[in-house]
Amino acid sequence: MTDFDAIVVGSGMTGGWAAKELTELGLRTLVLEAGRPIVPEQDYTEHKPPWEVPFRGLGDRRTVAARQPTQSHSASFDELSHVFWTDDVDNPYSTPADRPFYWFRARQVGGKSIIWGRQVYRWSDLDFEANVRDGIAVDWPIRYADIAPWYDRVERFIGVSGQAEGLAQLPDGQFLPPMALNCVEQHVRQRIAATFGRARVLTIGRVANLTAALNGRAPCHYCGPCHRGCITRSYFSSVNATLPAAQATGRLTLRPFSIVHRLLARDSRVTGVQVIDAKTKMERVYTARVIFLCASALESARILLNSGIGNSSGQVGRNIMDHIKWGGASGVFDGWTDRRTIGERPNGIYVPRFRNVTSPPRHPDFIRGYGFQGGAGRTGWHAALHAPGIGLALKARLTDLGPWSMSFDGFGEMLPREENRATLHPTLVDAWGIPSLHIECRWSDNELAIHRDMNVTAAELLEAAGAKDIEPSTSGPSTPGGTNHEMGTARMGRDPKTSVLNGWNQSWDVPNVFVTDGAAMTSSSCQNPSLTYMALTARACHYAVEQLKRREL
Amino acid sequence: MERRELIQWLVATAGLQSLNALDPADLLALGRDVHRGAPVRRTLSAVDVAAERILPGAAAANVGAFIEKMLTDWHTPEERERFLAGLKELDARGNFVDRNEADQLALLNALDNAAFAAGTNDHWFARLKYLTVYGYCTSEVGMRALKLYPLPWRYDGCAPV
Repeated sequence: MTDFDAIVVGSGMTGGWAAKELTELGLRTLVLEAGRPIVPEQDYTEHKPPWEVPFRGLGDRRTVAARQPTQSHSASFDELSHVFWTDDVDNPYSTPADRPFYWFRARQVGGKSIIWGRQVYRWSDLDFEANVRDGIAVDWPIRYADIAPWYDRVERFIGVSGQAEGLAQLPDGQFLPPMALNCVEQHVRQRIAATFGRARVLTIGRVANLTAALNGRAPCHYCGPCHRGCITRSYFSSVNATLPAAQATGRLTLRPFSIVHRLLARDSRVTGVQVIDAKTKMERVYTARVIFLCASALESARILLNSGIGNSSGQVGRNIMDHIKWGGASGVFDGWTDRRTIGERPNGIYVPRFRNVTSPPRHPDFIRGYGFQGGAGRTGWHAALHAPGIGLALKARLTDLGPWSMSFDGFGEMLPREENRATLHPTLVDAWGIPSLHIECRWSDNELAIHRDMNVTAAELLEAAGAKDIEPSTSGPSTPGGTNHEMGTARMGRDPKTSVLNGWNQSWDVPNVFVTDGAAMTSSSCQNPSLTYMALTARACHYAVEQLKRREL
Repeated sequence: MERRELIQWLVATAGLQSLNALDPADLLALGRDVHRGAPVRRTLSAVDVAAERILPGAAAANVGAFIEKMLTDWHTPEERERFLAGLKELDARGNFVDRNEADQLALLNALDNAAFAAGTNDHWFARLKYLTVYGYCTSEVGMRALKLYPLPWRYDGCAPV
């Protein structure tokens, strides 16, 4: 007899889904979360006005420098949301000195689902067939048809607002009404269509923010800082949606402050999960028939490595992928000076991948491609921060909205490469004595060529739209890990010799272990990955429960 | 003596010369504490007056307290010293606080031109101006005046100005 039917490690994006699906399918489920509990009424701060924040949003610089120097590089890290990121001192990792990697981590109930960017895009067979088509790495063991119904299931539950576009590379989904493009974005969409036809398309972002009430969650009220929480539950997080659903079954046990040290295995079967209490540092073991690792790509790999299981292929920790950013362009638009935006739309535009979508012709410099996010707006008072003049002239600038400008920011696919790798550090341990990771990861020539091309095509889009003062990005490529889309460290495949998981996210070596977070990805697409993680999690849960019923697990 | 008044006294008198000799962290911590007291008689310092001249309305938005908070708890000691050293320029031709408004504006305009000529946001006056604008636009007074607060609770992507 085991303590529970199932144990889920992690309570974030995928852990919440595993909790919901497994409990709804009848399993008594323990969710182990390394961090603290979250009480929305106390911990969410999205409506706190700037004047009630000590540094008005500029951040507690000294504390951040001392405790969160890495986490603070995340795009959604700010003076209030910083509590949703880990402490870098307690949670160290290492990289080669000349090869930085940003490992953004969240330890609390809800994990990174509280602070994610909420952009959700279905991957297509352009992605699932990519490796076999290009003859690199290993083939995905699934195709779009395998995951499509699970995309449906996830989208219907989390709520996704978006516009159907009928593009093969970006399948449409179960959409709530789309958010509005603003005047200039609407103009740019039309101009791009006139110039490029269906070859390049600008659409409103597909975002897990409600535009209509859903399952007791209220529609978005456009306050802005989603990454500080959402008291109306208008965007999807596990705290806002999946964990309450799991709780409602009466079969969920959620244990915060529970750091998983390792899985205990015997005869190709995990028999227990060894946990360190984060506060008391006391150890104890929980048992269950099936284990779901949903701890985030690198953390799940770390648990497998610390357990010494599931790695007969030698692929655990390898093939780290992220999305390359900081290529693109911005431009200024004359006109619409009598128009402005009201409210903070938690969403931008999306230009789906258009490079190497049809074959031939292929781009001469790279395989795969990238999409653009971004948006148009007016500057407002921020322009006055560095403006010349004082007195009434400066005051007048505060209400001068400034011209409309628009930016396109690329998100590029990264190829899986074995040498991009996380290993157990020989000496470095975290505050609980658990061996930390050493991470070696760098962009390849293919990603760097993609990054260069972003500047070219973003400028083309702006030119087609009639922008002036077009400025291609002057940034070098983003730091690997910096997009917080890290994945690939326990990949799915068709062969136990070259992959860690089968086509059901199930460990080849220890079949009662499933890994359903970003670790499972076989390639990275160029599109935001969380929706795919969630769909694969739901799919794997239903498979696991069937297997349990047939006593095959 | 009230701590705030001590600063005022130092800035307004020959005590200015000894600013560098004092530990700026201590000095500014004094100012911060003043704001925690309930009915504290507030004496306008050079920073307060300068902020109001740079951006009319800054005083009502209590921008001076925000600037002190930033200098005390946010800036590095090097940045703080550069700022405090720069502040002395306000008194180059006599006590800044006691001069008439036209003189104050003339001096601040000259400093603004100098900061822009320097071409760097590191110039102490550029910093003062940044903090003044930022402090005002993130204050309740400022956000209400700019119609940034309360929130509209809706989105319109093409509203009339």
